[in-house]
Amino acid sequence: MFTELQEANFLVPTSYYVILSAVLFTIGVAGVLIRRNAILIFMSIELMLNAANLAFVAFARAFQDLSGQVFVFFVMTVAASEVAVGLALIVAIFRSRKSIDIDELHSMEG
Amino acid sequence: MLVQQYLPIAILVLFAIIMALIVVFTSVIFGPHRPTKKKLAPYESGMTPIGPAVRRLPVRFYLVAVLFILFDVEIIFLLPYAVVIRQLGLYGLIATGVFVVILTVGLLYEWKKGGLDWE
Amino acid sequence: MLTESVPLMQAVVPVLPEMGLLLLLILVLMHGVFSPKESRRTVCVITGVGFFTLMVIHLSVGFNFVGDPDFSGSGLGDIVRVDAFAVMFRAMILLAAALTCLMSGESRAINRRVEFYVALIVAALGMCLMVAANDLILVYVALETASVSLYIMAGFQRDSKLSSEAGLKYYLFGAVTSAILLYGLSLIFGFTGETNFSRLGPALSALTANGSEGVFALVVALLLVLVGLGFKVAVVPFHFWTPDVYEGSPTPSVAFISTASKAASFGLLVRFFSIVWPAEMIPYWAGLLAALAAITMTLGNMLALVQKNIKRMLGYSSIAQAGYALIGVVALSDTELGAAAVAFYMAMYVLTNLAAFAVISAVEWNTGSVQIADYAGLSRRSFPLAIVMVVAMLSLGGVPPAAGFFGKFFLFSAAVDAGYTWLAIIGVVNAIIALFYYLTVIKVMFVGKAEDESRYTIRPRLAVVLWVTGVGILLMGTLASPWWRWAVEASQQLTVMLP
Repeated sequence: MFTELQEANFLVPTSYYVILSAVLFTIGVAGVLIRRNAILIFMSIELMLNAANLAFVAFARAFQDLSGQVFVFFVMTVAASEVAVGLALIVAIFRSRKSIDIDELHSMEG
Repeated sequence: MLVQQYLPIAILVLFAIIMALIVVFTSVIFGPHRPTKKKLAPYESGMTPIGPAVRRLPVRFYLVAVLFILFDVEIIFLLPYAVVIRQLGLYGLIATGVFVVILTVGLLYEWKKGGLDWE
Repeated sequence: MLTESVPLMQAVVPVLPEMGLLLLLILVLMHGVFSPKESRRTVCVITGVGFFTLMVIHLSVGFNFVGDPDFSGSGLGDIVRVDAFAVMFRAMILLAAALTCLMSGESRAINRRVEFYVALIVAALGMCLMVAANDLILVYVALETASVSLYIMAGFQRDSKLSSEAGLKYYLFGAVTSAILLYGLSLIFGFTGETNFSRLGPALSALTANGSEGVFALVVALLLVLVGLGFKVAVVPFHFWTPDVYEGSPTPSVAFISTASKAASFGLLVRFFSIVWPAEMIPYWAGLLAALAAITMTLGNMLALVQKNIKRMLGYSSIAQAGYALIGVVALSDTELGAAAVAFYMAMYVLTNLAAFAVISAVEWNTGSVQIADYAGLSRRSFPLAIVMVVAMLSLGGVPPAAGFFGKFFLFSAAVDAGYTWLAIIGVVNAIIALFYYLTVIKVMFVGKAEDESRYTIRPRLAVVLWVTGVGILLMGTLASPWWRWAVEASQQLTVMLP
C-alpha cells in the first residue's frame, strides 16, 4: 500500500509502529473490559488514546505530512480535559458511595 | 552491523545486573539475621511513628493538579505560536487572542469561586 | 495554509454561530460570577434569549449567504464547511439549546447554577462545529467538546446517587468509544495521508479502486468509526448507556442530550457517510446498518413497553427512534432522499422530545415524581401540559396530524426507493408496536384518577417552550412541504463541491 513512499530509506518500517499501536490499543481495550476500579479504567482509556497517537505520528512520518502530528496535539489536549472531567465525576461518585468499584453502580433497574 | 554498535551497551547492562545480584546475595547468605522488635519497626528519623503510613490526600490536591494540566496545555499551544508568530500575521494573532481570552475568562471564574485558595 | 491573509468574510461568516456562542459564554460566566446574588437567578432567561438571538442571526445569515456563488462556505482553512445541511442542523441545535435553557428554570437539580449553562453553551458550540466539520481533526475535537460538556451536564447533581452514576456511566462508555473512533480515524489518515474530507473522498476512491485488499483495510476503519459514532446515536450494541443516563440525569440535561446530541450525531454520520466513503464500500456498510437499524428499532420498542419510569421509557423510545433514523442513513446508499429524510426526522424529533421533556420537567417540579402512574389525571390538573404531551406522544408514534407521521413516511419511502422494502416493513410494524406505550401515557393522563387534583400553574418561561414546540410539531405535521423542501435542498448540497 505504501509503494509510492521511500520506505526503503526508513530504518524502522512503518508497519512496526502500526503493529505496536495495535497491540497497545488491544491492551487498553482489555484493561477497560477487565478492570473494576474506575481510575484503572481511565488509565486504560488513556492507553487507547496514546495508541492512536502513536499511529498518527507513525503515519505522519510515512507520508512526510505534519497533519498527523497536529492531530496528536489536539488529541492530547482533549485527553487532558476529558480526564479532568472524568476525575471530577469519580470524586462525586466517591463522595456519595465511598467506593469507586464500578460493579457497585446499579442503583437504576436493569 | 546494527547489533555490533549496541554490543557494548548490552555488556554494560549485563555487568550491572551481575553486580547487583552479587551484592544482594552476598548480604543475604553471609549477613547475620537476628531481628528484634525495635529493629523491625518502620523508620521515621529515629522517633516513634505518628499516624498511619499511607494517609488520604486532601481533595484540594486534585483541583491543583487539574488546574496545572489545563494551563500547561495552554502553554503547549502558546509556545509553538511564539515560534511562528511573524508568519501567522494578524489572523494568527486574533485566533490565539481568542484562545487566550477564553482561558483567561476561565481563570477569572476560578479565582472568583475560590478555586485558587488553599482552604 | 493559513500563512496568506484570509479575507474577513471567509474567516468569520462560516463560524458566526460559534463566535456568537463564545461571546455568550463569556457573558454568562461573567454574569454568574460578578453579578449580585439576587440577579443571578436570571441566568436561564439570559442564556435562552441569547440562544434564540443566535439562532435567528444564524438563519438569516445562512439563508442570505448559502447558495450565493461568491460565498464559498468553507471556513477556517477549509476545515469547516457551511452548506444548507449545516445551516439546518445548526438551527436545530440552537433551538434545542434555547428551549432547554428556558425549561431548566424549573429544575431543582440544576438550581440555576451558572456552570450548567456554561456546559450547555460549550456543548452547543461543539455540536455546531460537528455538523459543519470538513476535516477529521475537527470531527474529533468537536465531538469531544460536545461529549465532555454533556458528561458534565449528565452528572450535574453531584449529591444525587443517580445523577453521579449516570454521569460516570456516560463518561466511561463515551470515552472508550471515542478512543475507538480516534483509532479508526488514525487508520483512515494512515491509508491516505489526508485529513480533509474534500481530498479524502478521492483518495479513498483511488485506494479501493486498486483491489480488494484496499477495501478490506477500509472495512476495519469503517467498523471502528461506526463504533464511535454509533455510541452517540445510541444504536444497538452501544445503547447501554441510554436508559440509565435518561433516568438518572437531571431532566433539562436529558432534554438536551436526547435532542441536540442525537441530531448533531446524525448530521455528522450522514455527512461522513456521504462524502468520505467511496462507492465500493457501500455494500459493506449498507447491509450492516440495515441489520443494526432493524435490531435497534425492535429492541428499543420491546424494552420500552415494560417501563414504569417515564424518563426511562423515553430513553428506550429514543433508541427506537434512532433505529428509524438509521433507516434513512441506509437509504443514503442509493438515493439522496435518505439524507433529506434524516434531516426532516431530526427536526421533528428535536421539537417532539423537547415538548415531552418540558411537560416532564413541569410535572417533576410540581409532584417530584417521574413515574408514569403519577401522570394520572394530568388533563384535569393542567390541561395545557396534557395537550402538549398528547401532541408529543402522537408525533413520536407517527400519528397524523403530528409531524412524526410525515417523518416516518419520508423515511420509509426513502428506504423503499433505495430498495430496502423489507426494512420499511419492519419499521412500520415497529411503529405500530410503539404506539402501544405512547398511547398508554395518553390514556393515563386522561382516564386515570389522581388523589390530588389541584391545578398547576405554568410559568411564562415554560409556556414559551410549550407553545413553540407544540405549534411547531403541528405545523410540521400539517404543512410539511416547506420543511421537506428545505431538507431536500440541504441534502443535495452535501455532495456539491463548494467554490
